[in-house]
Amino acid sequence: MTSKTAATLLALGLLQGCVTSTVDEVLYQGPEAEDLVGDASIVIMGRRHASDYETEPDFIQCVGKHIQRRDETITVMSELEFMNQLYPWFEPRTAPLRPADIKRMMDVPPVRDKLAELNTEYMVWIDGETVRTGGAGSMTCGIGPGGAGCFGFGTWGNDSNYEATIWDFTDQEEVGRMSTQASGQSYMPAVVVPIPIIAPVQGTACDGLGDQLLEFFSAEY
Amino acid sequence: MSGSTTSVSAFCAVTPIGRALLLLAAALLTACANQVEVKGQFPTPVLDRLPLKIGVYYDPEFRAHEFFDEADSREETDWIVRTGQAQVEMYNTLLPGMFDQVVLLNELPRDDRVDTVIDEDLDAVLVPHVQELQYSIPNHTKINVFEIWMRYRYELYAPDGELLAEWSMTSYGKTPTAFLQTAEAAVNMAAVVALRDAGANFAMNFARVPEVRTWMDELRQARSGTTIPDLGAASPEEDTL
Repeated sequence: MTSKTAATLLALGLLQGCVTSTVDEVLYQGPEAEDLVGDASIVIMGRRHASDYETEPDFIQCVGKHIQRRDETITVMSELEFMNQLYPWFEPRTAPLRPADIKRMMDVPPVRDKLAELNTEYMVWIDGETVRTGGAGSMTCGIGPGGAGCFGFGTWGNDSNYEATIWDFTDQEEVGRMSTQASGQSYMPAVVVPIPIIAPVQGTACDGLGDQLLEFFSAEY
Repeated sequence: MSGSTTSVSAFCAVTPIGRALLLLAAALLTACANQVEVKGQFPTPVLDRLPLKIGVYYDPEFRAHEFFDEADSREETDWIVRTGQAQVEMYNTLLPGMFDQVVLLNELPRDDRVDTVIDEDLDAVLVPHVQELQYSIPNHTKINVFEIWMRYRYELYAPDGELLAEWSMTSYGKTPTAFLQTAEAAVNMAAVVALRDAGANFAMNFARVPEVRTWMDELRQARSGTTIPDLGAASPEEDTL
């Protein structure tokens, strides 16, 4: 009985890891190591100009934390703080879509001064989303004098697809591009108690993209 | 009209205890509605200020703007979302970042009353209105997506009350996730995003409104020598004026 339980738990643990991830990278010009180990900062922003989806703020925070956790010398400015400091230039409707747009922005003295004050060297635009790809199964829950419980099985999939574009503020050009795709299947068996076995699809995409950005920005990777 | 008269008569006819019970029931019904007083921090814009002295008038309807969504069934609840105070705060933060001087006015200039010239030093008076508002709240969507779409109508008057320009602009706000927050907080966030968007749209496109552009050209010529820069000069879509 004990070994069966252990085997079941092991199987459940293995199911939790069932996420496939792919990362592609196109690098035009990587920074010199000393470029970012100084006082300069980077900012990671989500694209939100499309009408049918928005890059999740949670994902942007996740990538930023991933980078800072792995290399404390890199200063990652919060997305909201950056947007507030440069309001209204980076709102969804006004954000620059091409590196060339930065030059026009720099023509406005207060914007130029603010960017210099923030000392932002690189900007990373992340575009994409995590979607649910479908589900199957059913579950019934009930409650009675003897207690409550559920019985059934449910499953659903998630797909993450993100692309990161790196802009150099100084040279006002795109210097790198990378993308990550991850997909996974989550399960929810229920025999009295529902046991969620969640595939960390978005987390895997976050780690994949974060690692690639670290290779770009960090001297340690 | 007759319906309202009937209800007043019926209300007066009930006993004091019955009236108290009716008032209590009304109060309880109001308490059941989800109420959101929109609150948010609005950043000061980073712009080249236009060398203009602008008066701004918020009419009472604008200051107290709210929208009410009545529940369609017993499972749903009413929603009251008050946006008036927040949008006044947003414009009070935005406009001083756009213009050299901003003066809050208590009355609107009228061109049919000569004695209502507000301030001869003013270049113009701006009057914003909420023209239209659409929203989706959980009652409608059944999912944790909260969206607010607004259309503002702006009027720009000369200090003597002559209408110089009138135009509309839209704004949109959405909370992408409602994790770890109440529905009220998520609606508040959607409204704040919509107000930020309204400010961004206004700031970037004010000088591009054809009538405003014409007025600014005339003002520039009248001042002959004073340069009035274009607020949207460095925006991605267009070149300088």
